[in-house]
Amino acid sequence: MKILKSISSFFDLLNKITGSICAFFAASMVVVVLAVVILRYGFSISFIWMQEAYVWLHAYIFMMGSGYTYLNNEHVRIDVIYRGASIKYKSIVDILGNIFLLLPFIYIIWKFSFPFVARSWSMNEISREVGGLPSLYILKSAILIFCIMLFLQAISNIIKSIINLTSIDKS
Amino acid sequence: MTPEILSIIMFFSTLTLLLFGFPVAFTLAGSALFFGFLGDYLDIFNFRMLGFFPQRIFGVMINEPLVAVPLFIFMGIMLEKTKIAAGLLQSIGELFGTTKGGLGIGVVIVGMLLAASTGIVGATVVTMGMLSLPTMLKAGYDQKIATGTICAAGTLGQIIPPSIVLVLLADILQGANEEAALIAGDLAPNPITAIDLFAGAMLPGLMLVVMFIIFIYFYAKIYPDSCPPIKTTRSRQEIYIEAFKNVLPPLILILLVLGSILLGVATPTESASVGAAGAAILAFTKGELTFKNLKDVSFSTVRLSSFVFVILIGASMFSLVFRGFKGDELIEHVLTTLPGGQVGALIIVMLAIFFLGFFLDYIEIIFVIVPLVGPVLIANGADPLWLGIMISLNLQTSFLTPPFGFSLFFLRGVAPPEIQTKNIYRGVLPYIGIQVLALIIVGFIPEIATWLPRSIF
Repeated sequence: MKILKSISSFFDLLNKITGSICAFFAASMVVVVLAVVILRYGFSISFIWMQEAYVWLHAYIFMMGSGYTYLNNEHVRIDVIYRGASIKYKSIVDILGNIFLLLPFIYIIWKFSFPFVARSWSMNEISREVGGLPSLYILKSAILIFCIMLFLQAISNIIKSIINLTSIDKS
Repeated sequence: MTPEILSIIMFFSTLTLLLFGFPVAFTLAGSALFFGFLGDYLDIFNFRMLGFFPQRIFGVMINEPLVAVPLFIFMGIMLEKTKIAAGLLQSIGELFGTTKGGLGIGVVIVGMLLAASTGIVGATVVTMGMLSLPTMLKAGYDQKIATGTICAAGTLGQIIPPSIVLVLLADILQGANEEAALIAGDLAPNPITAIDLFAGAMLPGLMLVVMFIIFIYFYAKIYPDSCPPIKTTRSRQEIYIEAFKNVLPPLILILLVLGSILLGVATPTESASVGAAGAAILAFTKGELTFKNLKDVSFSTVRLSSFVFVILIGASMFSLVFRGFKGDELIEHVLTTLPGGQVGALIIVMLAIFFLGFFLDYIEIIFVIVPLVGPVLIANGADPLWLGIMISLNLQTSFLTPPFGFSLFFLRGVAPPEIQTKNIYRGVLPYIGIQVLALIIVGFIPEIATWLPRSIF
């Protein structure tokens, strides 16, 4: 049980770190979009790569940040029943939901996205726009990162729910 | 088993599954996958169709107009965390509070201003619940009118631009619009953008504000004891000076952001970045732009936008499978063969959204329901712009309808324990009535929604 607990805390920590990176991206995104606006309206200059940069930041924020959001339990639930329910009910719903709903979803996305992303890496894909950012595969890889971060958090959540269940049985 | 029957079973079992309380995004996707497997096994669905899915996710990732969503979230949370919203609330309360029902009217006006600057219903209701509700109760307001007004004023963020809901809805409607063009054989449909919906929502939003105010005014006439004036010891001059300091800066920011969008000078994304930076500058002038606040705002932005877009991903998995079962054709068939033709179809859709709103959030309705019904309605002649405004007015009621309205939950969370939940429910009833009335008015007079966008662009 102790090992399980430390695995769970380790995964939580990883998602906390990616969450911090995403938060940094969020603040940077405001600055980049503002810079695009100032350059365009103030100096009539625009760079395609800058516009792509904030779109990429945005994509990374919600894809990479999904695990962190799950860690904070902010993926919204219809919580009419859930909110007031016992810890036992919550733990069971979370264990079953993670195993039968979330994990298959992550597996399928991974399975279908892996070739999609790998192709992009192998052909060294770049942005279709002239003057756009190189290495489009970095953006596409966000889909795999999304899978990894959510997977880690799903495992961590299952562990936490199991620990909650066993501690109810003891008391 | 025919695919259509499976699509019906899939729809209703997913709804049931959602009620257990596992996160919506994962439930939508996981349930769709289960039915996808089942359909593949029964030979009525090819599981390989899910091979398109990475491309869909990627489409969401590179959708530039959607970048406005986290930027508006950033702006709203910044105004809330750095107490700029609170200052607004306090000043307007004092300005209006000295007449009967005045505090209530003040709450509606602040709701409108916060709506025009943040558009985040949860944040608005929580702020007003923590600050205005105690003031109203202390002044002797009846629990019902106080809580009802706060909940209703909070939902204005949904309809009054710049609203996150409208940005998301515009994206979905544009997809529906293109599909409708394919069905109807129209090669060059007019695109629907967030700017069109913003302009379209202006007058209906203001109309709603006026209707709320009229209601409170007459309520105060009829039941003067339930919404008495507040007593203040401060001089008028003091109140005016403070109001000037508290109201003017955010008001300028609102006009800047909204004006630049509506005048077509800037895209919503560009204006949103100005709004986000402007909110940070306002915070700075108040000495509130600390590292901690900036950090909190950035983290909240990540969580809120991730939850929105992951639902979008989950919902597109759902609709991919649902369409694989020809569920969309079934809906089209039902909607086009209804008695009453196009009007009948519209009424059915509006009723369905209204009732689904009792237990689904606006986000699920926008991402799951609108893509299914939108194309048929538009192909049969509904104006997409007007349809969008009708849907968002309708969705606004889903925030208020007991027992699962979002607004009610948020207020319950911050209201003092002596407030009875029953009174919150009864308090919002007249406002739900007003919303439905507004929906009917815009239904009969589409020009309220379509006139402004048509005349400024």
